[in-house]
Amino acid sequence: METGELYRYSDMVNELLARYGVKFGIYKNNTFKEQLFPFDMIPRVIGKEEFAYLERGLKQRVAALNEFIKDIYSEKKIIRDGVVPEEFVYAGSGYLAQCEGVLPPKGVYSHISGIDLVQGKDGTWYILEDNLRIPSGASYPMIARDLCRKSSPATFEKNHIEDNRNYAQLLRQTFDYVNTGGHTVILTPGRYNAAYFEHSYLAEQTGAHLATGSELIVEDEHLYFIDYSGKKEKVGAVYRRISDEYLDPMNFRPESVIGIPHIYDIYRKGNVALLNAPGNGVADDKGIYYFVPKMIKYYLGEDAILNNAPTYLPYYEEDMNYVLEHFDTLVLKDVAEAGGYGVVFGSKMTKEEKEKFLALLKAEPRRFIAQEVIDFLDIDIYESEQRVPRKADLRAFVLMADEPVVWKSGLTRFSRNPDSFIVNSSQGGGFKDTWVLSE
Amino acid sequence: MAILSVEHSDQLFWLGRYSERVYTTIRIFSKRFDSMIDLKPEEYEEYCRQQDIPNIYTSRDDFSNRYCFDENDPNSIYSNLMRAYDNAIVLREEIGSETLAYIQLAVYAMNKAAVSDAPLIQLQRVMDNIVAFWGIVDDSIDDEKVRSIIKFGKRVERIDIYARIQMDTAEIEREMRRLNLRIPRTGLCYDKVKLAHLNYLAQVSPLDYKTIVKEIEGLLLQDALPMASGM
Amino acid sequence: MRNLRFAYHMQLTFELPAFHHHFTVRCEPATDERQHILTEEITIYPKHFDSRQVDSFGNHCIYGIANDAHNYFAVDVSGEAKVENTPRVPALPSHRIGMFRYASELTKAGKKVTELLEAASFSSDWGMLSAVSKATACMNCLYDSYRYEPGVTGIDTTAENALELGVGVCQDYAHILLALCRAESIPCRYIVGMMMGEGASHAWIEVYEDGFWTGLDPTHNRLIDDNYIKISCGRDAKDCQINQGVFAGGGKQKQEIRVSVREA
Repeated sequence: METGELYRYSDMVNELLARYGVKFGIYKNNTFKEQLFPFDMIPRVIGKEEFAYLERGLKQRVAALNEFIKDIYSEKKIIRDGVVPEEFVYAGSGYLAQCEGVLPPKGVYSHISGIDLVQGKDGTWYILEDNLRIPSGASYPMIARDLCRKSSPATFEKNHIEDNRNYAQLLRQTFDYVNTGGHTVILTPGRYNAAYFEHSYLAEQTGAHLATGSELIVEDEHLYFIDYSGKKEKVGAVYRRISDEYLDPMNFRPESVIGIPHIYDIYRKGNVALLNAPGNGVADDKGIYYFVPKMIKYYLGEDAILNNAPTYLPYYEEDMNYVLEHFDTLVLKDVAEAGGYGVVFGSKMTKEEKEKFLALLKAEPRRFIAQEVIDFLDIDIYESEQRVPRKADLRAFVLMADEPVVWKSGLTRFSRNPDSFIVNSSQGGGFKDTWVLSE
Repeated sequence: MAILSVEHSDQLFWLGRYSERVYTTIRIFSKRFDSMIDLKPEEYEEYCRQQDIPNIYTSRDDFSNRYCFDENDPNSIYSNLMRAYDNAIVLREEIGSETLAYIQLAVYAMNKAAVSDAPLIQLQRVMDNIVAFWGIVDDSIDDEKVRSIIKFGKRVERIDIYARIQMDTAEIEREMRRLNLRIPRTGLCYDKVKLAHLNYLAQVSPLDYKTIVKEIEGLLLQDALPMASGM
Repeated sequence: MRNLRFAYHMQLTFELPAFHHHFTVRCEPATDERQHILTEEITIYPKHFDSRQVDSFGNHCIYGIANDAHNYFAVDVSGEAKVENTPRVPALPSHRIGMFRYASELTKAGKKVTELLEAASFSSDWGMLSAVSKATACMNCLYDSYRYEPGVTGIDTTAENALELGVGVCQDYAHILLALCRAESIPCRYIVGMMMGEGASHAWIEVYEDGFWTGLDPTHNRLIDDNYIKISCGRDAKDCQINQGVFAGGGKQKQEIRVSVREA
């Protein structure tokens, strides 16, 4: 792969990213700060064949997850047939009783899924986590690609790399497929949200209207965007970037001021599409993750193409025994936490911490999953003009219209700290472009 | 762009106002500062009075530093630029990433000026980016309303500042002419009586600057409803 | 079986005019196998646009928006119901039972609830008892150790807190009994309704067993009968709020509820 020239303009590309405000917001000591999202020029490269394999696995996974959500909010056959224990559904944080019996437009629940994968040292890919609520990150490689092509046209001329800037078009198709008639809006909690850059950039790129809750109103069974001259414009699809709980104060948390009163009532009647569907969280809970391969078998009658990281569920006695015997080699995750929080490594605990943790584990076994620590395949980054290896994951995006489509790219996040396995942007990581080869 | 909400029309207006405020205050400040250097160090006191800002400064140097760069001084040029940025950042889809970038660049230039050893000359970079911003507003924003609201905000702010520093009739009249041409293209609700009054005021000699400021501030009709939640 | 005439009045009075008032009211008793609604009339003040909806718990909701300024918001429901003298009603559909087995926000069992459950489940054949028998034993135990007193607890008081306080109203009795039953993995749900006489709305619970919901009124320590008209159900009081609203203006607000049920 000829890429030497690509790296010459690394500083310039980062400068341009700053110019376009490619940032994410964080709260430090209760004040909001915007931080640049450091970009590393060395891409993650995935071969054509290899990506085709990932694509098959991801489509299969998202199709099964969608079936699962549909089943959970209707007949719950998977519980009745004893495949998933009901407490993992009802006692998890993602289940919303208000979604019982509600079928979203065209039966699509997870329109935009962000599936996190890692590659082991032996080249095997593992699914690390499914993000079905409001996954973010696609905008970063999109804009970075644009700038990289400018800085090194020759690289993109010589290598055959799938263009990833079609994400906006794919997203638009996803919106249009479920739109019930009217405009499409991207609903943001506002500029003090961590992913605000993405909300506004995707609005610009897809031609959807960026709106906050106060700009939209439900009247006579439909959702309207109110023009500044007072004219009402019907809205048929809402790509909402606010969480379920805050979506509608009349149906979820009553104190929410960023939501839209009654939007959920008209959604229930099929008068507006919400992307992603409320209640999706029931399928991306860390506890439910364990059951995804079983789901694939149950709903699709197929074996999972992509593996989970080897996972144990202390809820089952056999797994609990394994966890207790191999504690030091495992990583333990609190199913209620996200964003790299609530993750502990057995080997890194002091004796006291371990005792405390084990007591908690025994008292609330359902709250945790345990996983083998995967020896990640490192990816090089440039640091002070040196290539150094770092841990990295890949967030693949699967968009669902009439069938799932995998975006031929993805967000590769890396940890800047050489000893850290945690690559989340909220914990100081950076990102890379992901190249999928077309030949 | 087919639809524009009340919030966004308001933000476009204020983006116009604050970008103008930064640009014109840097211009005026630079000129006035020149005479503060060796002729009249205490002239900043008069400057504060004219601009209707509290004189919280202890000396000329304190003034030139804090008035330009203090993020905690709500009247500083820095704070006004941040307000322009706050309005711009929520308008990416209306004005476009390319346009938004110039406000972002002005912010970077301001931060750089604040820590440089010749901060005042560095403010030129802030002005350059604001001028570039206006240029690209004209060049790349297709929607006439979007473009006009920003430019209307800019006009309102300019008349406001010019009246405060008591610019001569010709200048005020020229700005009023441009305002009159712009306002019907915005689609905004404005007070027609106030506009007529302003046109009258711009022609009366001597100019009643105080009333001009008052009328220009009240030109736009606002109705914002605070939402409350209850059981 | 008897015929009951019911009238329900709710009024929310504002200190300052309220406008752009979005509301959802759940105040409409629906017909089921135990209660047959013969006639029903609903009025809502002020003028508004409204729509109807059945929520995921099967409750009938009226929602809408009253845009113009108003000083009060009032709902009146009246009608006649034929009520069977039984605490039981068939539970359908079966896939909507599971969600009632797990503690909700207001019905988590803490130390106090656990202690009370231990006291209620002392008998040696506890494990053999039916769900309704267990729930009844819990209800008896709760009735003996808890006292009715208004004004101490609020609408957000959890079962555990209510038990710590030692006194409460029908909502607290119901939450505590739900917490006790759910700690025993018995599916059970919160009921808002009306009962014979004059006063406020009432709350009780239903316990699931073998295809039926059975109504228990812990405030009065008895099974429900043909003195009770059900309005709505949910996992706890939060799912059954009679009136919810979001509005501009309003200032301080005062809510008043008057219920009257008598034999027709």
